[in-house]
Amino acid sequence: MRGRSLSALVVVLALYALVPVALGGNLYLMSMVVAALTIGGIALAWALLGNLGGLVSFGHAAFFGVGSYASAILVMKAGWPIAAGLLAGGVFAAVSAILMLPALRLRGPYFALAVLAYAHIFRIIATEWKSLTGGAGGIANIPRFPVVLGYDFSGKTGAYWIVLTIVVLFVLVYDRVRNSDYGLALRAMHDSEEATRVVGVNSTLLKAAMLFLSAFMTGVLGAFNAHYINFLEPDYAFSGLWTMLPIVAAIFGGYRTITGPVLGALVVYLVDQLVFKELMPIGHQIILGALLGAMILFAPAGMLPALLRRRGWRHA
Amino acid sequence: MLDLAGVSVQFGGLRALDDVSLRVAAGEIVGLVGPNGAGKTTLFNVVSGTVAARQGTLAFDGADLAPLPTHARARRGVGRTFQIPQPMHTLTVTENLLVAQRFGAGRIDRAALAEILDLVGLSGKAGIDAATGLSLTELKALEVAKALATGPRLLLLDEVLAGLEAHGKRMFTQLLGAIHARYRLAILIIEHDIETISTLCPRVAVLDFGRLIADGPPGEVFRHPDVVASYTGRGRVDA
Repeated sequence: MRGRSLSALVVVLALYALVPVALGGNLYLMSMVVAALTIGGIALAWALLGNLGGLVSFGHAAFFGVGSYASAILVMKAGWPIAAGLLAGGVFAAVSAILMLPALRLRGPYFALAVLAYAHIFRIIATEWKSLTGGAGGIANIPRFPVVLGYDFSGKTGAYWIVLTIVVLFVLVYDRVRNSDYGLALRAMHDSEEATRVVGVNSTLLKAAMLFLSAFMTGVLGAFNAHYINFLEPDYAFSGLWTMLPIVAAIFGGYRTITGPVLGALVVYLVDQLVFKELMPIGHQIILGALLGAMILFAPAGMLPALLRRRGWRHA
Repeated sequence: MLDLAGVSVQFGGLRALDDVSLRVAAGEIVGLVGPNGAGKTTLFNVVSGTVAARQGTLAFDGADLAPLPTHARARRGVGRTFQIPQPMHTLTVTENLLVAQRFGAGRIDRAALAEILDLVGLSGKAGIDAATGLSLTELKALEVAKALATGPRLLLLDEVLAGLEAHGKRMFTQLLGAIHARYRLAILIIEHDIETISTLCPRVAVLDFGRLIADGPPGEVFRHPDVVASYTGRGRVDA
């Protein structure tokens, strides 16, 4: 266990140092990696809800969009520092999830569809509440990340370090939750929710907690993205791609694992952008759709886990 | 300790429990018998909170249970088992008990867990996944152990002996006696086997078509004409 933590630390430090050195000169590739990590973080949050909460969400775009708008508006109109904006993005996304609580009574596809409809509400609010959100025209010139300790974080490398830090923190939080008593109770709930309730577990509260945590994480990433891209419009911030890509990534990497969704995002997004998009400039996402269908049929526990198992490896 | 007064439960057109009043004192063992469909499991569901009563009151240690959700009743001291064992499959035997103890009793006490495992005869299976490697008897023992781990003061046992062969039944009857002696808790047990009930329970309550038709020592209850009629079907035609 100790050896594993140590090697994980080495890998993370190498990621911090080596990726910018290797790719730093290539702004296009750097932006691909930043986007892949952003999607990887959402995929991790989505998988946390699925793996621990037992809930499949088609609505994470809502949390992403709410987080991005919340931070952009608070920083621009209320003068908040960006760091506070990132946290507020998470908090607002979690608060928006409160409206979803009635849907927790639903199971499986019914929950997923209710959440899909719910996600749409926020896109409409962002479009119609023009005085606050700028309507369909969106918000431009969102402040970039500032200079901290002499380093300018507004560039690609700065953004890379920020998003990597966010994702690493999320991995640690997820691991902590999974290995806690609550993680055990959540695992127990998958087998029989009734049997878990009669031994004293408040299963509804635990599922709600996972929903809030997942929404918070996604909201933080939305806020990060707003300050990284510097521009928001409803069709972009609430785009279904913020739901679809993380789902493909999480299932590809193994949604029952912690690092799998992040690795899955790196593989899926980079291959999609660098290979599929070259082959098929318009409609290349159809390949991802086909991949998702194939994985659900042939490797529902994930493509990476299936490949690794074939070689006798496992990943956390 | 447990005090049901005038409890009725309706499922559509079916009156599953009809004006049932039943008291169980602290430390008492009461057998609950009756033909299939008489409402025995429904009564357990009402007490543990998975089914709401339409009428009547439900008190536990003087406090009203009705507004409390299932998990809160478990924390108050209502433990139950299911007729078909519902282990948490992906967890080991010990983890099953840890969840029950952590959330039901509120804190983890490894020594108490070890004692429960030892008592129900699962010490040798502690690290085994509940989904694999447990016999029916062991699954039933795990079911009881989980309920015990929540630190109950009332234990509702739903046909824990059903499906066991004669030897298993005798062992389990002894085990329940030992649990009662060790933890001094009240037990309400659903069981079809009259011999087992007579051995274990100084008092028996009989349900038939949702109504409580007899309540008393087994020797009297099993000779009660209504009870005989409900078991043999005699007297039904003109009832």
